[in-house]
Amino acid sequence: MISAPVSRRGFLAGLGGIGAAGILGACATGSDDSSGAASATLTLQSSLSDPDPKAALTEVVKGYAKTPVTLNTIAIETFRAQLPTYLNSGNPPDVLTWYAGSVARDYASKGFLLDLSDLWTGNGPCAGFSPALKELSTNDGKQIFVPTNWYWWGLFYKKSAFQEWGVRPAETWDEFITLCKTIKSKGVHPLTMGTGSTQWVASGWFDYLNLRVNGADFHRELLAGRHSFDDPKVKTVMDHYRQILEFIDPKGRSYSWQDAVTPLNAKKAGMYLIGAFITTAMPGDDLDFFRVPVIDKNVPLAEEAPTDGYFASAKSRNAQGAKDLIGYLAAPEQQQKFIELSKSSNLPTSSKVDTTRFSPLVQKGIKMLGESASLTQFFNRDSSDQLQTVADTALTKFLDAPEDVDKILADWQAGAKKVLGR
Amino acid sequence: MRGKSGWGFHAVMAPLTLLWVAPMIFVVVVAFRSFDDITLHGASAFPRSFTFDGFSTALGTGSMGRAMWISAQVTVPAVILSLLLSSFAAYALSRYRIPGRRAILLTMLAGNLLPPQILLIPVSRVMESLGIYDTLGALVLIHVGFGLGFYTFVLHGFMRSIPAELTEAARIDGAGPVQIYARIIMPLCRPSLAALGALATTWIFNDLIWAITVLRTEAKLPVTAALLNLQGGYVSNWNVVAAASIVAAVPTAIVFFAFQKHFVSGLLMGSTK
Amino acid sequence: MTTTLRRVPPVVWVFLAVPAAVELGMVFWPALNSFYLSFTQWNGLGAAKPVGLDNFRALGSDEIFLGALKNNVLWAVGFGGLSVLTGLALAVALNRPRRGVGLYRSAIYLPMVFSLAVTGLFWRVQYQPDGTINTVLGGLGLGGWEKQWLADPDTALWAVLVAAVWRQAGYVMVLYLAGLKSTDPSLDDASAVDGASPWQRFRFVTWPQLRGVNTVVFAVTVIDSLRTFDIVWAMTQGGPYHSSELLSTYMFQQGFTFLNLGYASAIAVVIFAMALVFIITYLVRATKNEVEA
Repeated sequence: MISAPVSRRGFLAGLGGIGAAGILGACATGSDDSSGAASATLTLQSSLSDPDPKAALTEVVKGYAKTPVTLNTIAIETFRAQLPTYLNSGNPPDVLTWYAGSVARDYASKGFLLDLSDLWTGNGPCAGFSPALKELSTNDGKQIFVPTNWYWWGLFYKKSAFQEWGVRPAETWDEFITLCKTIKSKGVHPLTMGTGSTQWVASGWFDYLNLRVNGADFHRELLAGRHSFDDPKVKTVMDHYRQILEFIDPKGRSYSWQDAVTPLNAKKAGMYLIGAFITTAMPGDDLDFFRVPVIDKNVPLAEEAPTDGYFASAKSRNAQGAKDLIGYLAAPEQQQKFIELSKSSNLPTSSKVDTTRFSPLVQKGIKMLGESASLTQFFNRDSSDQLQTVADTALTKFLDAPEDVDKILADWQAGAKKVLGR
Repeated sequence: MRGKSGWGFHAVMAPLTLLWVAPMIFVVVVAFRSFDDITLHGASAFPRSFTFDGFSTALGTGSMGRAMWISAQVTVPAVILSLLLSSFAAYALSRYRIPGRRAILLTMLAGNLLPPQILLIPVSRVMESLGIYDTLGALVLIHVGFGLGFYTFVLHGFMRSIPAELTEAARIDGAGPVQIYARIIMPLCRPSLAALGALATTWIFNDLIWAITVLRTEAKLPVTAALLNLQGGYVSNWNVVAAASIVAAVPTAIVFFAFQKHFVSGLLMGSTK
Repeated sequence: MTTTLRRVPPVVWVFLAVPAAVELGMVFWPALNSFYLSFTQWNGLGAAKPVGLDNFRALGSDEIFLGALKNNVLWAVGFGGLSVLTGLALAVALNRPRRGVGLYRSAIYLPMVFSLAVTGLFWRVQYQPDGTINTVLGGLGLGGWEKQWLADPDTALWAVLVAAVWRQAGYVMVLYLAGLKSTDPSLDDASAVDGASPWQRFRFVTWPQLRGVNTVVFAVTVIDSLRTFDIVWAMTQGGPYHSSELLSTYMFQQGFTFLNLGYASAIAVVIFAMALVFIITYLVRATKNEVEA
């Protein structure tokens, strides 16, 4: 048995620590002997499992000549579940794809992430990024994240369908309700929303209604736990949510966000509040979008603009190499190459990327984001993956039983308190 | 039952069987449809297209072909090692007066009955401390370790039923414990080993949770994990997902039908006695 | 019997020690770690903080946990009961050789070669709002019965259960078929001559002879029912709002999404405690059989 001598060492190492949870942590030291070999190659752990983005990243990574890079693409749900394990392992991946905002800060405050501040100073590849992006990537005064692209959310629809039904995008809430009623009168579901295997989609409406009713500051504070989810202000948000429930295709409760695109495509549904990534599921020129309508004119315009990028593991065996690779990925040429190849509608974070060649849809997205007074990320990115789960339970329950809203909000608050209290 | 006419029997069984295989037929049909056909007419509509696209995507960019090879590299050694080690243990426990043998056997079995979830986090740490995290060897090791209890229990039951006279005679002829194991016990256990081998193959080949616990390199993912990975990428491409799941099911189906007889007889021999 | 059990030569100790060491390292040592962790609060980094019985106390007031516990009991009974009943009924029906029996048998146990993830995938398509099940119901004029099977909290758990039983029943059938083969047909014939009804013959002649098989079926079913994770994860992930949550899925969520490794380990310990009840029942039966033999 080859394993016999090794495992004996493992047992002995473990036995010494039986009283302390240090056992598991300490085990990591047992594999130091292989470190020399590990640093020769960099590992890039990616959650971009959709075919086009995956192919795009593969192509971009191929262009990196300094160090061989192993690209590991893991389906996003598995990736999400295993991310803490990846970061916490003795020989973690060097660079990982993930999200900016509270989510990244959360991992940084646990000590998992490498300090990337070098990349943000002097001639560093991120030195020219906007202050807002820098703020988004900062934890405790250090930059721990490098954003490489972002996107917008909006109410997506098919131009040809709107033409057929003789309707136009809405600008105010009242117009929006009328629009929904008109579409419904044509025997079409005004809204589609895939909250089956992707329950987080239901948070899109919650985020937006909260932004429109209570504004971005309240929204951020709420997600940071500084307000209660059973606050009367949240109740007002839910009252608005309730108004649109009758317009949502009920079958969406069984769909993933991708499945819910099909009725939109087939003109059996009118609109879809979703991120610009919808273009990967529904390519073509017929797709257009409009801003989520204004509810209260006194509330400054805010939009969701989730930002994606990379961070590096604090335990990387080749920290310098990891930083260099991230720097490469953040460079304008690579950003542009990635966005083009992935056929996504994501926007570059570098101002040096020439966006004039991007599609009219993307131009419109850039313009909308430019007009908004503040930007938020998305529910989980502004809070944490844990709070998202609590929100998923509350919101999917609400979709089924809106009359129980008071109990649902109370449960939501109790769940949030548990998460934040831990 | 004998009195009833064959018609009555078939009238019940034929529709029931059809109902039973309907989901499979449906998946096969979906696998051969084109993506556009599915998006346009829905997944359960009557097929209007026939194409191998689903299969070629699944095996090509979907990496199911590579995953098959990986699975073979994990399953074959894991099954062989499992059977070898469990037959060692079963032999020792069934033919020798080892103190507390009953307790040992039951403890080993109990270990196999543990819910795997309880082991997930510590197991990945143990693999790291052995320096084999993210290697196929680690996956083989955990499969062997986690299955041993059950295999040992079944083989133990079988070996106990082998008449003492056989081994006694060999012992008098001067055979040592290793010879008795190799020349007498093992050949007699062949049906039982074949049965367990078939069972272990399906278990190990179909595993998902251990693979995603000890592996993180995409190129090392065995079939089920690769299928999940593919499903994450081709979410509403039901034709690709269906084709990939058929690909994933073929090897176990072959093993199962090939070992059908052994499977049935062997597994029970140890326990009906 | 005991005369065959020779004094133990050293090489035999090695035979036992190697497998025992592997299982110790891969199963018992990690399990022990989990037990320890269940008394701590730990996020995977640094040292775990011992908190005594806090985790278990918190479980007592955790509604989701209690719901999952209830679901787990329903699952164990439903999964075990239905797959054994279906499997046994099919085995009895397909026991006597006649034309077409082989085909029926093969068709029914084919699903068991699929992994649970594949099974979940297969069935998710059937349960879609426009999937086969609703289409068939609509076609039969039973449109009123159409449901969003996996999105409805009243049906989600049962919808998953049907898929799981579909896969398991063929397996149980194979085991019982083998058991029936080893029963003594002359007993059955004799009682038929004596005028016993088919049910009486099954209940008083065949069933007692299936004792050994029952033990195996019981073991296999319990192992599989406690292992249930993949299929729920693939089909509903415990949703909608925890209505199909099992202890294993809730534990996975707590451990991996929430990084509450201590709390998750406490749930794992509860799963273990449940398993223990079955394990002990099983061991008692196994011991009894042995005394009789």
